Amino acid sequence: MSNSNLQLTMDGREKGNVGNIILKVIIYILCTFLAILSILPFWMMFVNATRSTTQIQATAVSFLPSKYLFSNIGILTSKNMFRPLVGFFNSFIVAAGATTLAVYFSSLTAYAQVVYEWKFKNAFFSFIMAVMMLPGQLTLIGFLQMCYKFNLTNNLIMLILPAIAAPSMVFFMRQYLVPSLPIEIVHSARIDGAREFYIFNRIVLPIMKPAIATQAIFSFVGSWNNLFTPMVLISSPKRYTMPMMVSLLRADIYKTEFGSIYAGLTLTVLPLIIVYLLLSKYIVAGVALGSVKG
Amino acid sequence: MKKRRAYDYAKYGYIFSIPFVLAWLIFQLYPILYTLVLGFSGLKGAGNSDWWGAMLWSEPFKNFITVLHNKSFKNAFLNTLLIWGLNFTPQIMLALLITAWFTNRRSKIKGQGFYKVMFYMPNIITQATVAMLFAQLFLYPKGVINDLFISLHIFKDGPVDMLLSKNVTRGVVIFIQTWMWYGYTAIVLISGVLGISPELFEAAEVDGANQWQTFFKVTIPSIKTMLLFTLVTSLIGGLNMFDIPKLFRDGGPDSATTTTSLYIYNKAFQGGYLYGEASAASMIMFAIIVFLSSLVFYLLRDKDEVELRRLIRKQEKEYKRKAKMSRMM
Amino acid sequence: MKKFMACALSTCMVAATLVGCEKTPAVNTGDGGNNGDGDNKPAVSEPKDKTIELWAFTDEVPKMVEKYQAANPDFDWKVNVTIKGTGDGYQDALDQALMNNQVDMFAAEAAFVLKYAQGDMAKFAGAYEDLGIDVAGKTAAAEIAPYTIEIGTRPSDGKLVGLGYQATGGAFIYRRSVAKATWGDDDPAFVKEKIGGGSGSWDKYWDAAEELKAKGYGICSGDGDMWHAIENSSDKGWIVDDKLYIDPKREAFFDVSKKLKDNGYHNDTQDWTDAWYADMKGTSEKDVLGFFGPAWLINYVIKPQAESEDAVTATDWAVTESPIGFFWGGTWVMASQAAIDNGKGEAIAKLIEYITLDDSEAGLQYAWANGTFDGSGVGDCVASGTVMAKSKSAPDLLAGQNMFDYFIPANASANGKNLTQYDEKINNIFRDQVRQYTAGNKSKEEAIEEFKTQVNEQLGIAID
Repeated sequence: MSNSNLQLTMDGREKGNVGNIILKVIIYILCTFLAILSILPFWMMFVNATRSTTQIQATAVSFLPSKYLFSNIGILTSKNMFRPLVGFFNSFIVAAGATTLAVYFSSLTAYAQVVYEWKFKNAFFSFIMAVMMLPGQLTLIGFLQMCYKFNLTNNLIMLILPAIAAPSMVFFMRQYLVPSLPIEIVHSARIDGAREFYIFNRIVLPIMKPAIATQAIFSFVGSWNNLFTPMVLISSPKRYTMPMMVSLLRADIYKTEFGSIYAGLTLTVLPLIIVYLLLSKYIVAGVALGSVKG
Repeated sequence: MKKRRAYDYAKYGYIFSIPFVLAWLIFQLYPILYTLVLGFSGLKGAGNSDWWGAMLWSEPFKNFITVLHNKSFKNAFLNTLLIWGLNFTPQIMLALLITAWFTNRRSKIKGQGFYKVMFYMPNIITQATVAMLFAQLFLYPKGVINDLFISLHIFKDGPVDMLLSKNVTRGVVIFIQTWMWYGYTAIVLISGVLGISPELFEAAEVDGANQWQTFFKVTIPSIKTMLLFTLVTSLIGGLNMFDIPKLFRDGGPDSATTTTSLYIYNKAFQGGYLYGEASAASMIMFAIIVFLSSLVFYLLRDKDEVELRRLIRKQEKEYKRKAKMSRMM
Repeated sequence: MKKFMACALSTCMVAATLVGCEKTPAVNTGDGGNNGDGDNKPAVSEPKDKTIELWAFTDEVPKMVEKYQAANPDFDWKVNVTIKGTGDGYQDALDQALMNNQVDMFAAEAAFVLKYAQGDMAKFAGAYEDLGIDVAGKTAAAEIAPYTIEIGTRPSDGKLVGLGYQATGGAFIYRRSVAKATWGDDDPAFVKEKIGGGSGSWDKYWDAAEELKAKGYGICSGDGDMWHAIENSSDKGWIVDDKLYIDPKREAFFDVSKKLKDNGYHNDTQDWTDAWYADMKGTSEKDVLGFFGPAWLINYVIKPQAESEDAVTATDWAVTESPIGFFWGGTWVMASQAAIDNGKGEAIAKLIEYITLDDSEAGLQYAWANGTFDGSGVGDCVASGTVMAKSKSAPDLLAGQNMFDYFIPANASANGKNLTQYDEKINNIFRDQVRQYTAGNKSKEEAIEEFKTQVNEQLGIAID
């Protein structure tokens, strides 16, 4: 048996070597191309943030930074409306709060779907799926009305709490748990006398780390970038989120200040990139389930 | 005894689902019911909320009939399907390709982390910014793409306003969508693969499967649940597509990128304030999405489950064989 | 659901009233005699908080209010400002806030003011006379341009609900150097003659376009520049007798747009794009003669462009009469009915009078017209004819020409009667179809058919 195995690998190596190298080259070229394509707009944005409005109007795209970054930021903040720190603070509270709630409660809901047998389990799953399919524009009118009626506008809470019910995340967590949660772990923990909440918090959540990391990033990014709901709910400048600040840039007073617009955009994206890079180690390292399983 | 224990644990199924249900009831139920009722009323006009007085008692389905007869609704629906279909296909193929390369245990691609981080980058940037950047690129008469094509002698008679062409604009929207989402899809799929127990791959290697066999026979079946997730969420997201078409060309030119969501939004918020018809259109879309998603579930589910069971059996067999081998050694 | 909520709410209100009734005598033991009065309408007699909720889509109106507060220290009201760009859901949020009585004073732009002054939302607007403003006397004394009043008057009761501080009558703003190179003369009176200024027809304008073309110039930057003049010159608006109506003068825009493009009379730009700005700076390959616009176009758009580093047009401009009178843009200041009900009318009246009706030299409009408001030194046209008569604006940009010479008559001839609350959207649909026709993607008949279908299906407006 070991003999035939050896034969096979040797065979594969003979043929594979050339093919493998060609394939690898193709992979690297394509991946590099895609990577460049991905960061090109960021680079353009950053470069334009350092160029004067006149330079931008002369040639919209350049790859070499210029020296106007600080004067652009100066124009930006001089108008007294664009306050990046306020926007950053509000956005961070909303994004971090919503992400934490969404990730935790979605995992919990998904766990209930996967581990327990209960009467309405399947019905509840169908319900989650149905909720997920509701078109967003549909509920907007009603949501707005509700918020104004109960005086909940200008309240960041309204951007955070609804995240507890994140159907697509529950769906993802469930899909992730189904093949990767060994039920024996739960059983043996129970035998050891662990309570259900303890099992979920201490044993299951760590297993779900890769899923949680990816979903946390998606959720954070989505929440950070959400413009539409805050736009109609928040009217007090003290509660403006970062995208709302950026949106101010399109307003008349900045209409012709292209350099500043790009500087503003850069300021919005920058914190996001930092958070992303910090969290991305989970994506990058890919805490493989198998290792936890051991 | 056994039965009672099962009953005990069932309790937690309910308890753990309570937060979700509560949040949903508080924040979503009212808006949904409101829309539901509006669909049967002739409510229109900004600042009007007297839906009771506007109820269409004599012909409750009037709004639905109107919407289904709207030429612009049909157009919007076809646009939506077209734009979704043409961006999902390359997106999933690209994502699968990346997944295959990156999870290939033999050809160990270096810098995977870097590439993954890069691929997801387009999704980080606010859609408003993406739309603005692309609009900037396609500016006419003086813009990046125009300058480029003129210098390459592709445009021989001076600049062309490319975004007046319906298909070019659709193409750009499709490209933006693909560009923004293939990284996301790849990461989801890769995380699915990372969730597969390594023994499965080891077993396949022991069986002498080559890279492609491993990918198609082991990887794909194992991430079927994730593929289902991707397909369904992308379908739902695609049929609700709003931001890019709205921000890029506001559904134009000549309604070429008006999706159904945009159609609903335009009806409800852009001048006409036809709340009744907009709500009816939302419900029609909801029905269509439910139907299509159920179809996907139906088509994928059974096979999926069968496949899983087969795999589990296979896995168990491997275990036994391994155990036997180790005992022998 | 709603009924249930109404029940719950009314129960709460009843409970609150009961509690209130119990408490009132206890608190107001001193003036028991006034109790009955106070119970009936307590809010109107005394506002519960001295705060004004002000909504605007730029910082312009809030700055004016600040100025008023600075000049009148005894004005002891707090003003809460909400600013949202027009593209940032200003209308969506404002509608909700108005419906829930959370706005006292707000600004509306020409593109959507009809909705708040005459259309769906007009019922939430507070009439100027109910604020305590002497409407007839003040508007006459300040000589407010008629179109401003026409737009700000609510048809249901004929009451004035909004006025602007700017006057946005439009003229033709041209480059002297281009006129001189083509015709050897750049005098406004001469150019007016050349383009048929004030003639009410485009015939001479097209002749001029042909002459300019022979010298390698365009007459305007894009078809959008002419659209505002054409839109506003039509005899009737988009809706007549509750049906979509395409005025022949507006329908003619199809041919205007095509003619411009086919003959190369313009640079085929769109408003607010880089190429449009480039034509203001004079950095395009083909120079264009001019732009159609009101005074604000000169002060806030052309001036910054013409004075930027790479521009060659810093003192090259002049103003003359447009072939057809029109207006473009403007901001109307309005109050809500809720504010009047809550006893805030008097305070708001002071602000609104200061912004829209004060014709004294200490007033806002005088400062605005003479460029002393923000220290820019450039005067803009204001609503009050009285103020305009004693003001002058002759920036370097116009090489010393007093632009008011042409803008004052333009304000008088602007028409405020051919507008509807749907104009913003209908115009978008119309111009989208015109672009398709001009580009040769469809015939005029197809384009008009599609235009009708979209207006009907999106806005619920009946068509033939």
